[in-house]
Amino acid sequence: MKQYNFYEKIFLRDIMGNYMSELGKKHSDIVVVNADLMGTSRNRGFVEMFPERSFNVGIAEQNMVSFAAGLAKEGFQPFAFSMAPFLSMRACEQCRSDVAYGNLNVRLMATYAGLSGGISGATHWSIEDCGIMTSIPNMVVLEPCDSVQACSMLDYVVSHRGPVYMRISCEPTISIYDEGYSYKFGCAHEVTEGDDGAFICCGITVKYALKAAKSLYEAKNLKIRVVDTCGVKPLDSEKIISAARTGNVVVAHDHNVIGGLGQNVAEIILENGIRTNFVNIGIPDEFAAMAHAPFLYNKYGYDDLGLEKAMLSIIG
Amino acid sequence: MESKIHELEATAVKIKKNLLNLCSKQVIHIGGDLSVADMMTVLWTYKMHYNTQDVHDENRDRFVLSKGHASAVMSFCQAEIGCFSAEEIIDEYATDQGRFSMHSCNLVNPYVEVSTGSLGHGFPIACGMAMGLRLKSNTHSRVYVVMGDGEQAEGSIWEAAMNAVKYKLGNLIAIVDNNGFSADGALDELTSLGDISAKYQAFGWNVLNIDGHSISEIKSALDNLPSPESDIPTVIVCHTTKGKGVRFMENQARWHAGKISHEELQECVSNL
Repeated sequence: MKQYNFYEKIFLRDIMGNYMSELGKKHSDIVVVNADLMGTSRNRGFVEMFPERSFNVGIAEQNMVSFAAGLAKEGFQPFAFSMAPFLSMRACEQCRSDVAYGNLNVRLMATYAGLSGGISGATHWSIEDCGIMTSIPNMVVLEPCDSVQACSMLDYVVSHRGPVYMRISCEPTISIYDEGYSYKFGCAHEVTEGDDGAFICCGITVKYALKAAKSLYEAKNLKIRVVDTCGVKPLDSEKIISAARTGNVVVAHDHNVIGGLGQNVAEIILENGIRTNFVNIGIPDEFAAMAHAPFLYNKYGYDDLGLEKAMLSIIG
Repeated sequence: MESKIHELEATAVKIKKNLLNLCSKQVIHIGGDLSVADMMTVLWTYKMHYNTQDVHDENRDRFVLSKGHASAVMSFCQAEIGCFSAEEIIDEYATDQGRFSMHSCNLVNPYVEVSTGSLGHGFPIACGMAMGLRLKSNTHSRVYVVMGDGEQAEGSIWEAAMNAVKYKLGNLIAIVDNNGFSADGALDELTSLGDISAKYQAFGWNVLNIDGHSISEIKSALDNLPSPESDIPTVIVCHTTKGKGVRFMENQARWHAGKISHEELQECVSNL
């Protein structure tokens, strides 16, 4: 089994914001649009390097998304940055009617995924955004789990025709993929092998699933597969079906259990007539008071301890 | 000069007849179509540079119908310049596989620059397009965006109004059809919007006020626009009458959308 450094702290928001400068050097059609969250979105490097290709519309997310749609209409590739709740909810109709309806190449860069906004509280959490965004035609919903994948995903996104919603956690992650890794659109990755059960996850929960799988192997000699779906739309049916054939599936997503990864995975399993034990873990359709994200992940049972417990509960 | 104005007036009457003819067959947003018809006629058949053979022509002027419910008048204006015929609009309007309906959709109609319908969207999109033209160093095209006055109640309008000034979008021409009514009634009763011009002025716009039913005033305003290379966006507030030209429709909120009988059609057309 590959060894992971679970003490590592890699912040995808920093990695992705900084990577915009690299993308900007390679692709002259890329422009960045901010709504007063350039600093927290970490794209200042791009703004300083390409001031003429950078826009900041002030605290006006609706305007930011429509403005980005207009720039895309004229052939540019705007990356619009904000926190996930403001992009997916304040500017929801603009994402849907101005960007997706026109199938425009706007990249919606959504930080503060799930509960990762932690002590900022529920106004700054996005526990509904995948439900909203996946139900919009043309919209792709990606959620990277480590820095190599995040940059590879961004390299892909630049070539994608149509809108993309990228969900970025503020919680630290670890190194999961090797440098040679290359993200492929529509493909999930089996991060670890195993036939006793499968964790299906994306984003921050991949780290916790890997830790839970390691612990289950060491304590119980159980070989649990970890499948990284890379996001919620599109999903890799083949890898999900294969994981379901282990007979024990735990899906974990930093999102409301309604509208998140679990329900989408369950649909694929059901439609393909596969019998399996199944647990869908996420936020149990409730609001909570502000707290640090790891405390909440523990409370809702999708940190490593919770995932281990969930897997054992179905394996028996 | 005089003859051009007479010609445009005749075209406007023709477009209004087409609207009423369609309105005798289908429900259309006739009130707001008629209030903006004179401006739309001059814009589409006289002012705008538009290539009907190539909707992506880089040198075209861009047009965004932010008050998307005025789709019928846009389609008839486009018919005037040869995008399709008025008969095609009347035949296909609100049919299941037609190109024309209550709001315009560019999935089926390539002459629709941006699909609109929900209010407060077209204006900020137009700002993005105007900025895009700047980035491409296109110094001669303009972006025209037509809004309703009821639409000014949407917060996103004022987000865009600030943004256009900040980015010095002198290539953006916003047109407000100030007919005084929205779907539920008189704007004075529904909002405290007040003086639209004063508000745009306060945000730093170049503001023109014209009689939106005077072809000569419309033509004069459009003839004398600042250069697209200028730094200040222009808004033309057109003072208009909802349902203009049809006595029983004028200033009646219930004619926001509707259908007329064949008998009413004869009366309406003779009124024009």
